Amino acid sequence: MNPAITIAKKEYSLAFRSVTTYIIFILFLTATGFYFANTALKVGLAELRGVFGIIHLIFVIYAPAITMSAISKEQASGTFELLSTLPLKLGQIVWGKIMAAVMLLATVLVFTLVYLGLILHFGSGVDLGAIFAGYLGLLLAGAAYISIGVFASSLSTNQVLAFILGLAISAVFYLMQFITAFLPASLAGTLEFISFDYHLQNFLKGVIDTRDLLFFLILIVVFKYLAELKLQSRNMMQER
Amino acid sequence: MIEIKSLSRGFGHIRAVDKISFAVNTGEIVGFLGPNGAGKTTTMRMMVGFLQPEEGSIELDGKSIFADPISTSARIGYLPEHNPLYPEMSVVEFLAYIAALRKMPKGRYLERLDYVIDNCGLEGVLNQRIGTLSKGYKQRVGLAQAILHDPEVLILDEPTSGLDPNQIMEIRELIRELGQAKTVLLSSHIMQEVQALCDRVIIINKGRIVVDELKENLGAYMGNAQHLVLEVEADQPDLSDWSLLYPDTQLQEQTQHGNVARIKMLIPGENDLRRELSAFVVEKGWQILSIYAEKQSLEEIFHNLTMQEELPDPDMEPQTSPFAEDGIPSPGLESDATEEAK
Repeated sequence: MNPAITIAKKEYSLAFRSVTTYIIFILFLTATGFYFANTALKVGLAELRGVFGIIHLIFVIYAPAITMSAISKEQASGTFELLSTLPLKLGQIVWGKIMAAVMLLATVLVFTLVYLGLILHFGSGVDLGAIFAGYLGLLLAGAAYISIGVFASSLSTNQVLAFILGLAISAVFYLMQFITAFLPASLAGTLEFISFDYHLQNFLKGVIDTRDLLFFLILIVVFKYLAELKLQSRNMMQER
Repeated sequence: MIEIKSLSRGFGHIRAVDKISFAVNTGEIVGFLGPNGAGKTTTMRMMVGFLQPEEGSIELDGKSIFADPISTSARIGYLPEHNPLYPEMSVVEFLAYIAALRKMPKGRYLERLDYVIDNCGLEGVLNQRIGTLSKGYKQRVGLAQAILHDPEVLILDEPTSGLDPNQIMEIRELIRELGQAKTVLLSSHIMQEVQALCDRVIIINKGRIVVDELKENLGAYMGNAQHLVLEVEADQPDLSDWSLLYPDTQLQEQTQHGNVARIKMLIPGENDLRRELSAFVVEKGWQILSIYAEKQSLEEIFHNLTMQEELPDPDMEPQTSPFAEDGIPSPGLESDATEEAK
């Protein structure tokens, strides 16, 4: 088995031994459930776009939270030294960490299928295509935030600092949608392209565009590569 | 066989390891000694490929370890300093994880698992979480991890640190057994450990090798001096007569417990003066309780060697300056000054 998958499986199963994981799950479902109850049940909209929007916002905090310890903890406790003397490549370690967090993210998304069930049961004219595309978009955007979070985790041995760094970088991509509103049209048009929301909206409409797919995939790979680069430099110039 | 040649590595301004060269042969247990900060861990980290050396080479059977890091890691077992483990995992989960990362086939893993359970004494704790284990058991788990894949070369960074005497004995026994067929390099700052375990001793200080000798040959570094320890029944025995007879003798310690006096003296040269000493004591009318000669221990050799190194240090010189400040020139400075004047 590829070592990256071995690492991902271990990380994923260990996550469920930590109370934090359950707390984050509950907070996530409470927030989205509250929002769903407001839009779907009160207003009576048979769609999930609103909930997806909220989920996207929550991911900005959720992704750095589940990835903050990914590499920083291994480095702080010294287990990274153990890993780096095993027959592994740095890239495999980073992929393993990203995959584990994406699996965790997918798990929490599975719970939101309850909302889908509810609108399918009570509503009519549900656009299943748009919902499927929405889930795909969310998963990709989430994975990109996770890649950012894992990179941030490689920057510091302090988990709290890693979380703040991850949150800060993610926030730039998330808030770009609001920033562009204040900028001149020419600049806004260019910057819009790095806004996560800009790409996610296409998915939510039910449009799966290669440009949007590539945008997220490239971001995932770029931040994974940056983390790897950081670890390499640490390995070569470690101050200890 | 693992061989390092003029290996160097610095951190900032500090030369942690400065052109170190040595080789460890198969079937040999080599003790790597040095005070804290001498560069032991840095050297070992480079030997397992965790740290990149600035210069020099590390060769495993003649091939650089960096040529094929993946196959190198299959041949080296490493117990890092402070023994990092995953506290949330159980012992058996941890070992399975390591085996999976090493891509060990299932049959081979089970076979080796049996071996390490037996030899590292892990039977009772297999399903216990590592975080709840005592330090001794954690150390065993760390060692089990290092030997799980049956490596040819074992690099153990302070394998017995923090263990109680019984645990130390067990781990030593295991290392001794492993050392018969493997190449073992272990670091320690406990001299008895190296004395008990190793065939060869490498002492490093400030990143440089001070001694690389077989254990038996370490005697050469002791000088021939020996201690004589004398216990007599007498009240504050006066040894000034003895000092007159043998003026080389240095009285090192004299303690009195009730009417028993214990005297330790350093006799330079190879003379065994026990006979003369006992005759002297009898003549004085003291009752001999015990008398024995003591060779210098490895500990003293270590102390001497690592301290000697500091003597020629240029930093020592400014210490003479207070004399100059007081207006009393030190003899050395004076002669320098007169020489310059000429």
